[in-house]
Amino acid sequence: MESQDLIMDGDLQTLGLQSILKMLALSGKTGTLFIQSGRETLSISLRKGQIVSLREEGVNQPDLLTMLCLMNRLDPQRAQAVREVAQGNMQVALPFLVEQRLMAPAEMQQRLEFAITQSISHALRWVNGRFSFHRRVVAMEGRMQPLDVDSVLLEALRQADEWEEMPDTSLTRATMARWLPEVSNDVRSLGLSQDHIDVLCLANGEVPLQAMAMALMLPEARIARILARLFELRLVEMVDTALEGELQQDLTNIIIMSQHTLAQQRQNSAPDQHLLGLIKTLSQCINGLLIHHGMYAKALRGRGQLPVADIVSYLEKRFAGSLQLMATQQFPILETASFVNGQLDCSEIFNLDHLVRGEQLEEFYWEAVRGLAVFLRTVFTTLLNDEVGNSYTGRQLNVVWKAFLTEVDQEIQQYQIYRAGQHTQNARNRFNDAAYRGDANWKGAAQKDGTPLWSSEWQRRSI
Amino acid sequence: MMEPIPTVLVVDDSPTVRKIVQMTLQREHIRVITAGDGLSALTSVADEMPALILLDIQLPRMDGYTICQIVRKNLQFRAIPIIMLSGKDGLFDKMRGRLAGSTEYLTKPFDSVELVQTVKKHLAGWQQRMPAQQYEGMRTRLRRRG
Repeated sequence: MESQDLIMDGDLQTLGLQSILKMLALSGKTGTLFIQSGRETLSISLRKGQIVSLREEGVNQPDLLTMLCLMNRLDPQRAQAVREVAQGNMQVALPFLVEQRLMAPAEMQQRLEFAITQSISHALRWVNGRFSFHRRVVAMEGRMQPLDVDSVLLEALRQADEWEEMPDTSLTRATMARWLPEVSNDVRSLGLSQDHIDVLCLANGEVPLQAMAMALMLPEARIARILARLFELRLVEMVDTALEGELQQDLTNIIIMSQHTLAQQRQNSAPDQHLLGLIKTLSQCINGLLIHHGMYAKALRGRGQLPVADIVSYLEKRFAGSLQLMATQQFPILETASFVNGQLDCSEIFNLDHLVRGEQLEEFYWEAVRGLAVFLRTVFTTLLNDEVGNSYTGRQLNVVWKAFLTEVDQEIQQYQIYRAGQHTQNARNRFNDAAYRGDANWKGAAQKDGTPLWSSEWQRRSI
Repeated sequence: MMEPIPTVLVVDDSPTVRKIVQMTLQREHIRVITAGDGLSALTSVADEMPALILLDIQLPRMDGYTICQIVRKNLQFRAIPIIMLSGKDGLFDKMRGRLAGSTEYLTKPFDSVELVQTVKKHLAGWQQRMPAQQYEGMRTRLRRRG
């Protein structure tokens, strides 16, 4: 788009989509409005203040032809022929279906209107983003009757409100539901409405919520409610394959990176350096997981590009409590670790060698390793449960995660063995010294700090 | 009729790496078998005749360079592409890998997308590389299965 065509642009936080559209409609403008949030872009073409077409970019668009096939409205061969002509553009596909007498012109208009309302309703929920209005109308094929902005906005706002009122925020437009294989009851006995049954029929694990809405011409929020109900009835499980694939890839990369760091720190021969290496590996892994969760947490999904402060506050609310609890109950050393900008800051533990040395330093490091290992488990379990639950992806990631934890545990055990050996050696040396000095009372032998050599506390610490 | 799918052998002493590679490649409809040490790797090569080998360098019982050399010296297996997967990223290590006969060198920590791309690149035309007799045998087994 050439810059001389630009009439106005700005931030969605300053001027919302609703106000922009109303303003353009009232002044009868002709041109294209671009709204962008994250990787999603919406372009709405207006002629004399009326909507003539709309296009969404940055997200996979539902294939209405596949939907019509699934609903037995179209045979797959004809669908393929239309698909080749339309090349994924619904505004070309629908008129072609009308031409072929496979759809009534009224239904085409209704479907196009419906799709536009859905897209605008979705964009109305974006918190952050930019807009720009350009003078020229981008040539977008279509035979739709121009739409009145006010009536589209009214319906879109109503649907956006319906989304906001949804008790379960985890559902997005990309959510896919899959019929649960273990369901054997006759669903008619559950007293489901026709809409519920229609949605259930499309729940094959490959049709996103947005496409279901498009096919059945039911608002996305309504489909979301129906899916939530079917989920409650244990008839379906939720699958967001695109998101799951993406988050699986991201988590995999974090684990690969952490495993690599773990393997590298094995080269440290000095025990304190070995422990410090483990602390660095664990904290790096925790921070990787926190960054990941900031992008994929259910509570943060479907809200466009969020301000960093919101993500930081969410992460701290979610994990700072359990860190604090662990610090007070089991691992006091973790009191020195804190959350800074949504990341775990362990710099005080890393710099402990400036304050203490020798055995005491090793003691602190050892406690930090055990504490961070427990916290790492907590973070991963919480994160996986929230993001994918007990899905196929979740189960696969759990297998990989357990393999990584086994490697971490082996490193910890290796140090435990060394530690036990050291203690035994020390004890033997002290016993021999005492015997050599003719001190027969070996049972009363004490450590330098006065605690008995085999006191329960000493034994606990040495295991 | 089902088409034969390629098998990739992953040789790494880290169970994490083995599981990750397995999970990543299975998503791409690639069959994955694994080995944790050098000797098991050679047994798997002989038993399964993989279409590609992903090979770590530091392995128990026999290192990656030696495995690579053995595979390359064997007439039956020499055409199998071998991708070295190692934490050593120095020029010397890469040269040594090439001299031992590796097809490509991937440095750890690798990106899962990069891994898939590299594997797919070297799997192209795997059926042609397979000895005709073995390929036919595989097709017959699949035909019988359905």
